[in-house]
Amino acid sequence: MDGLLNALREKVDQAEVYHLKTQAIPIEFRSGRLESVKIKQTEGMALRVLSDDRLGFATTTDMKDPSELIASAIASAAFGEKSDFSFPAETDHSHPDVYDHAIADISEEELIKTGEEAIARLHDAEPEADLNVTINKVIETVAISNTAGCNLEEKRTHLSLGIEARKTREGDIFTIFAEGDARFNEDLSVDPLVDRLIHYFAYGKNIVPAPAKKLPVVFTPQGAITLLLPLIIGFNGKSVYMGTSPLKGRIGEELFDPRFSLADDGTLPRGPRSSGFDDEGTPTVQTPLASNGIIKGFLYDLRTAALAGTAPTGNGYKGGLLGRGGFRTPQSVGIGNILVSVGDKDEDGIIARIEEGLIVDSVLGLGQGNITTGEFSNNVAVAFKIEKGKIVGRVKNTMIAGNTYNLLREHLIALGDRAQWVHGTVRTPMIAVDQVNVVGQRG
Amino acid sequence: MEQIIERAIAKSNADYTEVRLERSLRSQVLFQKDKLENLESSSEVGGIVRVFKDGGWGIAVVNDISQLPERVSNATRAARLVASHGSASVGLVKVPVVRETVRAELNNDFRSVPLKEKKELAENYNRILLSYDKRIVSTQARYTDLFREVTFANSEGTFLIQEVPDITLLLAAVASDGGKNIQQGFESIGEAAGFELVLGREGEARSAAKRAVDLLSAKSVKGGHYTTVLDPHLAGVFIHEAFGHLCEADFLFKNERLAKIMTPGTRFGNETLNVVDNGYMPGLRGSVPYDDEGVVRAKTHLITNGVLTSLLHSRETAERMGVSPTGNARAISYEYEPIVRMTNTYIESGDNTLAEMMSGIDRGIYAIKAYGGQTMFEQFTFSAAYAYMIENGEPGEMLRDVVLTGNLFETLRSIDMIGDDLQIHGGAGGCGKGGQFPLPVTDGSPHIRIQNVTIGGK
Repeated sequence: MDGLLNALREKVDQAEVYHLKTQAIPIEFRSGRLESVKIKQTEGMALRVLSDDRLGFATTTDMKDPSELIASAIASAAFGEKSDFSFPAETDHSHPDVYDHAIADISEEELIKTGEEAIARLHDAEPEADLNVTINKVIETVAISNTAGCNLEEKRTHLSLGIEARKTREGDIFTIFAEGDARFNEDLSVDPLVDRLIHYFAYGKNIVPAPAKKLPVVFTPQGAITLLLPLIIGFNGKSVYMGTSPLKGRIGEELFDPRFSLADDGTLPRGPRSSGFDDEGTPTVQTPLASNGIIKGFLYDLRTAALAGTAPTGNGYKGGLLGRGGFRTPQSVGIGNILVSVGDKDEDGIIARIEEGLIVDSVLGLGQGNITTGEFSNNVAVAFKIEKGKIVGRVKNTMIAGNTYNLLREHLIALGDRAQWVHGTVRTPMIAVDQVNVVGQRG
Repeated sequence: MEQIIERAIAKSNADYTEVRLERSLRSQVLFQKDKLENLESSSEVGGIVRVFKDGGWGIAVVNDISQLPERVSNATRAARLVASHGSASVGLVKVPVVRETVRAELNNDFRSVPLKEKKELAENYNRILLSYDKRIVSTQARYTDLFREVTFANSEGTFLIQEVPDITLLLAAVASDGGKNIQQGFESIGEAAGFELVLGREGEARSAAKRAVDLLSAKSVKGGHYTTVLDPHLAGVFIHEAFGHLCEADFLFKNERLAKIMTPGTRFGNETLNVVDNGYMPGLRGSVPYDDEGVVRAKTHLITNGVLTSLLHSRETAERMGVSPTGNARAISYEYEPIVRMTNTYIESGDNTLAEMMSGIDRGIYAIKAYGGQTMFEQFTFSAAYAYMIENGEPGEMLRDVVLTGNLFETLRSIDMIGDDLQIHGGAGGCGKGGQFPLPVTDGSPHIRIQNVTIGGK
């Protein structure tokens, strides 16, 4: 890569080379049986250049001859966006644990065994359920170097396990899903995921009608993403800069219930999204977004920070706001580990105090509709009815609708006292809110 | 390249071996608000090996093509491991050996259009979006093109080279009243076509911006149950998402109960309902002369006169169910194995006019275009981009936040009128399944009318 940068130094003002080498072993079980083992070895490179303050970008998989890559990036810089930022020099960064020898050493045979154990436990409890399991072991090496002298490399491990369990009968299909993601083998345990699925099948044994009225809704940690996704978009410095975020200009204002705090922390020891630096070489940090209900800050990459006249927060990532990885897309604002404050109520206690309401574990159409404003309106995928503090059955064909900003400010009932990692990037407790609009199927 | 592939296959000791190599060139221009977010032209080369050995599948993916022979060994080792754990795979149905080269024929090949011209095109549309009204606070103008040359070879002797072009344009605007009311409008097109597709789209830019502004004063719909007319675009998304995915045999063929629900011969709708997946409609994004298993395309009648007549198959699902493959095994790129996917999927025209559909409705909803949709087996949810209240047979005031939801089987049975105005749409996104997104597809329909749709609103 040094050779590549030296060649570029004569041609452009600044250059940055992002190099990603990935070994992944995705393993698929379908209907309880092992379906395939895949061995992926991919490698790609992305080049950003600044020439007369204009930004150019190109990617390639050709590691041997970068001439086409250089020509493409320079050609794109000729008409690129006027950009007033600099690639960073190397600075001290945190060194969170991101590489686990236990994951690196785990054999395909052992990964298969993990899947087989999960399937066996679920099959014993629910012999009729159709079970699909996906396991993925990833070792990736990210290297970032630029003409300002940055020369960083980090080797990271990642292990994920997804279990989908489905029960089918005439006119009704009940599918539930549980997923674990971790950078360390010992942080990913199969049993809690399996236990959760077994509980859900028990709760969902009966289908009960849902009413059409405003009700309390308890979002499980997995279901809480329905409330959190609009916030993840709202706290994106780019939405703020562009004026689409309702949080623009609201720093210091109390816009949420004082019990609600939200932070992004790329430095969290062993966090599934932790890394020493982002995909631009900026050190990751802890960024409070809302503390005790008060808006504190937003997330920035280099370019958006320069536009907004503020400092980058180490949130310049490839793969979009929620995604991660890949060498193809240019860096933009992305989240690290999103952390929601825990409360003091245990989950059973929260449910026990609800006279009539729903528990929502997942929805269909997440992110569709007008979520920049905080609005959500979704059909529930996995949801249960609460009556007099007890779970009485599953509801289906039921819409829930509300506004995240309004619910978390005016109608927060409680935050659970146990946080859980969900979607590989968010650590949140159960979130119970009141006054959610529920529209059940006409009975 | 041909030699590397044939040598790698020849050396394999698996029962079946296939290699798919891809060379691609792509460019993208992305304007957001007044900023050029991305301007790039990039290239990529990669390959995938898939082998079947002793009843198990093994797969290997690599960027460095010179490593292909080693990857065949890796994949074979993986397949043996799978077989030793009791995989239930049955292998592939027999198909004719094909040796063919399918070249793309483009009027104005986007590969020879300078990046500068692509940038100026998107910039012009973005300027129209931005300057339409002072309430427009954000915009997106995104141009993409992708030219893939896919070489497929297997140990049965098939050797195919296919060129697959794809070009898309997305024009979107966000309008705000200065407070909490923020609304969007968009137009999108995508085809297997040349640069001519994206020229002269100023009207679409204006209509996207106008819609965002108009929606600021639209009313939120009141949640409830309505007779609903879907425009061709939204009806197409519905038939693709809610029904088409259930026809994909790969998730049916190991599940007896689900397979029973989806048994050909079962009635799903009225006599007038006909649904097709057509793998070859030249110029449309979903067209695949040969699929990613080297199987020739088909026009598959999924529903004929209201009755389920066929499913969509790969070679493996066809073998499992004892039927002919339908050419629906597709992969988004060399990083993925082929899975059962749709191509161009649509409801065929009926004989009702839009006016006839509206005329019987005292109070209903005319829902237009889709922001997105998601299904979980028989449950679905779609967000209409915008809608109108229908009162006494006439479309009236504009509505926003219209989200349709329901049970697929009940909803198909509740389609009581089908229009005579089929339109097929290839947007700027694509279809997602099994981690593979975006796959170019199209979907279409005439206007359709559905009784008693659950609409979520405020």
